[in-house]
Amino acid sequence: MAPPNRTARVAVLGSSVQRSRSSKHAAGRARSAVVRRLVLALLVLGALALLTISFRSPTSGALHNVQGTGASILRPFQVAAERVARPFRDAYGYVAGLADAKSENAKLKREVRELRAQSTQNLAAANLAASLQKLMNYETGPTYPKDYRAVNTSVISFPSGPFAQQIAIAAGSDSGIGINTPVVSADGLVGRVTNVSHTTAVVTLITDPDSAVAAQDLTTGVSGLIAHGPGSTLILDQVSKEKLVQKGDVIVTKGTRDRRYPDLYPYGIPIGRVLSAGPSDIASFLTVQVAPYASLDSLDSVAALVATKRASKLP
Amino acid sequence: MNVVDGVKAAALLFLAAIMQVSIFAQVHILGGVPDVLLVMLVAVALLRGAIVGAAGGFFAGLLVDTASLGRLGLTSLVLTIAGYWIGRYGETTGRDRAHAPFLSVAVVTILYSFGLLLVHFVLGDRAPAGAMLRGLLPAIALNLILTAPVYALVRRLLRPFDRSDLSTEVQLLG
Repeated sequence: MAPPNRTARVAVLGSSVQRSRSSKHAAGRARSAVVRRLVLALLVLGALALLTISFRSPTSGALHNVQGTGASILRPFQVAAERVARPFRDAYGYVAGLADAKSENAKLKREVRELRAQSTQNLAAANLAASLQKLMNYETGPTYPKDYRAVNTSVISFPSGPFAQQIAIAAGSDSGIGINTPVVSADGLVGRVTNVSHTTAVVTLITDPDSAVAAQDLTTGVSGLIAHGPGSTLILDQVSKEKLVQKGDVIVTKGTRDRRYPDLYPYGIPIGRVLSAGPSDIASFLTVQVAPYASLDSLDSVAALVATKRASKLP
Repeated sequence: MNVVDGVKAAALLFLAAIMQVSIFAQVHILGGVPDVLLVMLVAVALLRGAIVGAAGGFFAGLLVDTASLGRLGLTSLVLTIAGYWIGRYGETTGRDRAHAPFLSVAVVTILYSFGLLLVHFVLGDRAPAGAMLRGLLPAIALNLILTAPVYALVRRLLRPFDRSDLSTEVQLLG
């Protein structure tokens, strides 16, 4: 039990250690505590103010311009760090790749044989389609990849954890990139630009929950919406149960033009391959799981597709 | 804290922020991502106190948000509070304790993840609690692995203060 003339506060905080010191020292300590709390309050207020401004105008305004300039200044450091890390990453990739190199080699050889046969058929069909389009004076919007200029650029920052499905690229409006510019890798669709400064841009990946891409099954012609799926996969949503989608089918962008939902991507960009497809008792649509072609968690460089042909406007 | 110490701390945090954004954010091991910036901030805050921790967290967060063209102030807000809290721990109960950096990193990794989740949730962003929780244990393990070398480096560059220089406002008895 504490004696009546002592408080619990005194017993816990141990101010008795300081009793012998001068009151001047105690006043100094109190002042430093006030300064410390004041600094914290100012910094938290500053962070909240920045957060509020950037939340209200994420892609424009003075703060956005300052951020863009800051990003341009930081870019050389990021590129340097990325270059320093690249040999280590490549070495890791090489060692990791060796583990399943043999089985992957056999699988790839089989795929090459199939694709070679498919390619010959596609070439003939493409030539026929081109000549028919010419005969019919068939008008189209910008077609991929003919009417797009690829701005090849490196990736300078990566999604940090589960919160952001975005990457930053080392090219911006100075290279012709704008909001909603489609971005692809050598393997397939990556996403679209959602924030841009002069020399950098932010790309929101197709695995972001807010992303929706009108897509088509190349084999069966079935259309749907590509959206975020479980893990690192995608789902082809809004496909009626009577439609046919099979495992292994290739999914590409649909490139439709709709007044209410204009498609941001041109037709024919490969998105991924169907992993599984089947009806579910509780869902009103088919459950179609798609594995993206692009390795979205290890992108080194990408290409932003800047249209060279103006898209026709809908009435 | 003198100017030289300030410059050293700023340089360390700058380097860590750039490395985090450009290199470490891409390292996914068992669903966890190591956070060298958080570990560096913990080390600096433990050795230099709450004010330096809070200011370091604010500017390091600003660098991350700027470099990734993310939402300005978001990372700053969480890192400021984390830096301050760890700084206070370093000034009081955590001083001279060998386990302090490891304990701080483990606890701050958890609080930082929940802090980010909360801010994203409040802002109406994507806040996948399940994915965050799945990656939390690996992230703690990865950060703990980074703690020893990072803390040793920071301790070498920023020599700990003498006991007499440290705050004695809160001291446990016994």
